[in-house]
Amino acid sequence: MHFFKKFSIILIVVSISLLIIDRFSYSEENEILIKDVVINDKENLKYINFNQEISLDHLITKAIKKGIPLVFKVTVKIVEIKDIWLTKTVLKKVGYYQIEYKALRKVYKIKDINGNKYEYRFIDEAIQKISKVEDLEFSFINKNKNKNYELWLNVSLERKKLPKPLQVNYFDRTWNVKSNKSINKL
Amino acid sequence: MKIKLKYIITTAAFIGIALLILLAKAISNSDLISSDSFRILLGLNIIFICSLIILIAVQIFRLLQSIKKEITGSRLTLRLVLSFALMGIVPVLIVYLVSVNFLTKSIESWFDVKVESALEGGLTLGQKTIDILMSDIELKGKSIAYSIGNAEPDQRNNILTDLRAKFGIQDAVIFDQDSLIIEVSSEKNNLIPPIPNIEDLERGGRDFFGRIEEANGEQIYLKAFTPIISKNVMSKKLILQLTQPIPASIANLALSVESVYSEYQQLTYSRNSLKIIYILTLTLVLLLALLSSVAASFVISRKFSSPLAMLADATKEISKGNYKKIISEQGKDEIGVLIRSFNSMTSQLEEATKNSEKDRERLELARIFLETILAHLSTGVIVIDEKKIIRLNNVSASKMLQNKESKMNGKLIKVILNNKIFEPLYEFINTYIVDNKKNKKEISQEFKLNKDNQERTIMLQITPLSDKKNKSYVLVIDDISEVTKAQRHSAWGEIARRLAHEIKNPLTPIQLSAERIQHKFSNKLSKEDSIILERSTNTIVNQVNALKIMVNEFAEYARPPKIQKDTIRIDSLIDEVIELYEIDKIIKIKKDKNIPIIYADQNKLRQVIINLIENSQDALKTIKKPKIKIIIKKKINEVELIVEDNGIGIPDEIIGRIFEPYVTSKKTGTGLGLAIVHKIIEEHNGKIKIERINNSGTRVIIKLKSGKK
Repeated sequence: MHFFKKFSIILIVVSISLLIIDRFSYSEENEILIKDVVINDKENLKYINFNQEISLDHLITKAIKKGIPLVFKVTVKIVEIKDIWLTKTVLKKVGYYQIEYKALRKVYKIKDINGNKYEYRFIDEAIQKISKVEDLEFSFINKNKNKNYELWLNVSLERKKLPKPLQVNYFDRTWNVKSNKSINKL
Repeated sequence: MKIKLKYIITTAAFIGIALLILLAKAISNSDLISSDSFRILLGLNIIFICSLIILIAVQIFRLLQSIKKEITGSRLTLRLVLSFALMGIVPVLIVYLVSVNFLTKSIESWFDVKVESALEGGLTLGQKTIDILMSDIELKGKSIAYSIGNAEPDQRNNILTDLRAKFGIQDAVIFDQDSLIIEVSSEKNNLIPPIPNIEDLERGGRDFFGRIEEANGEQIYLKAFTPIISKNVMSKKLILQLTQPIPASIANLALSVESVYSEYQQLTYSRNSLKIIYILTLTLVLLLALLSSVAASFVISRKFSSPLAMLADATKEISKGNYKKIISEQGKDEIGVLIRSFNSMTSQLEEATKNSEKDRERLELARIFLETILAHLSTGVIVIDEKKIIRLNNVSASKMLQNKESKMNGKLIKVILNNKIFEPLYEFINTYIVDNKKNKKEISQEFKLNKDNQERTIMLQITPLSDKKNKSYVLVIDDISEVTKAQRHSAWGEIARRLAHEIKNPLTPIQLSAERIQHKFSNKLSKEDSIILERSTNTIVNQVNALKIMVNEFAEYARPPKIQKDTIRIDSLIDEVIELYEIDKIIKIKKDKNIPIIYADQNKLRQVIINLIENSQDALKTIKKPKIKIIIKKKINEVELIVEDNGIGIPDEIIGRIFEPYVTSKKTGTGLGLAIVHKIIEEHNGKIKIERINNSGTRVIIKLKSGKK
């Protein structure tokens, strides 16, 4: 009985702690909407093209204007769907694109997912440009046609690339910018 | 296994300090620890603080339980915990509040308006410089474009080269609207210029368009697009692209200002987050410090209170009589000295208690010994205090004073001696105590008490006990009735013997002389004288005979106790004696069956029976219906002989001394009959008792031992 008492106290503490950590770590807000996902095959390679509706509030646009670079992480996962057991990740590909304001030249500098750089005088133009992700390359050959594969795609603001104070301020949920998970059949 | 609290708290303190150091490092050095690690550290710190809170809560709960159960030392522990906790909490809270205030103000002070203005001014200056350079290149570009537009196609290259060199421009390239390179001129030989994007060319085809480009983050280039308006309207639209690097000194400064400005802006934007993180860290430090101090206060308080609690417990044990309680040694400080002193005191107490116990046992033995002696003493002993309250008495005293209870402790002597016959005793005691102010010596007095017609002689001796605080007196009461009686008998025996000796000798000559006188002178005298002589000599002879009888009785009473015992049947002896008397009609005999034999002198006992019957006969002379009843009873180890009559009885005045010589209610007689009876019964170790029967009559009860020898 005494053991169960102690065990229950420990369980409560751990649960509360996990909840706190979880609260610090994740946000349920979706500010990026992935749409129009197209997967093209070229020889043995596949290319993903998709559009995004990126809605950034004034705090983030102000932060960009203040010179804080925003790096978005595009995560592509190919998973094997199993009827009974959990899914199995077959392939994972990560890409980044970013937007940064250059105060001296008064331009918004973007670097797309393929490393190409562009500069725009207005933020809307820059966001418009990064909203289109083109030709994210990955290699996948479905050798077993009986298996069921899906491509999971999601985009999130890479908080680790933010200045340190913003990274560790887990109470500030402004930076929990995340897309929905786009699921596509392969 | 129960782990001691101090080890848990020490371990926890080390973990907490380590976690805080890591957290502080994570804040101060972003490269050292990643944000993920920081998050984990933050979480671990929070978990650790929660654990400390639970640990403290458990300790508080246990402490409250201890107080509820009234465990010794728990209240002191609570007080010490509160004191130590307060001593920790107050300064830490002050430091915390000052630190938070200081931190907030410090962070705010970083973002001075003047600094921001200066940075913005520097950036603007850089921008203006670039704008001037851009305006310069615009003029130069337009001039070159004009010259080329008015020149023949084969002269374009020379003009371009000349003007580029003249204006000091690094690269000059002419594109057509399809992005084809028409002419190139550069300071660097073999330049293959990159193709600009179509948007730039289209924009440059419409009007002057300039932009600033960075190369490797170190150099800044001005890139300008200017339309070339040809005089030949039909010819293709051409666009002049000029590339001019900004001087390194200006570029470096401008980029530096931009970088600092950007960092400053980032910091400005992050200051709230910075404040939150620092305050959070400080709060964690505060909580950890507070909780650690509270947790430590439990350990310290217990360290202080546990020896005192042990002392208190031990004191309780000692108060219960457990002197074997020893407390373990507790260091060399004052508490250690106290505990050692306590242990020493306990040992001494134990030793003293053992000695006291031995003394008590000895005293108890002495008391039992004294009580046993007192209980078996025939002499009565009473101890009374100054208030005349009985403190001690023995059984004999109770019996002598005719008290129903053997123990008279706590009672007033006056109450015990309430009977009228004991009044002289009480008066004597009271007078002695009242007058005994100056420690009189012991005193004794003889008292004659008469109860139920029996006289008893009591010797009362009072001895004061010497006690500094309380005075007490020992009353020794001795019943000396038998002694005095024996003394009287002895005295009477001596008188009888002398009388018998002195009187008996002259009696015979007197008698013979009287008879001789009568015989010699009766014939010689006249008849009248002869009658007188005869009458006188007869009187002398008769009186001498009477004296002889009396002297014989005295001789009998005074004779030495020589008895010749033999086994006899007392019932047969009584029958034999009664047959001698002609009064057997008035004598009734009642006897039990199987009367046992006794070992006695038959002649002496016969005399006893005769004396008793003759006494009864004398008492019955004036009684109309005289009766003598003789009863023989069989008792355990003895035979009881009762002789009773309904005669005139014995007066109260003499019944107590009836067995003494010369004590008699008869007008005639020597008064030695019952004295002789009493003497014979005593010589047979028997008992004799005489009593009145109601208003008239006498009963004599004799008890003799049965059996042979």
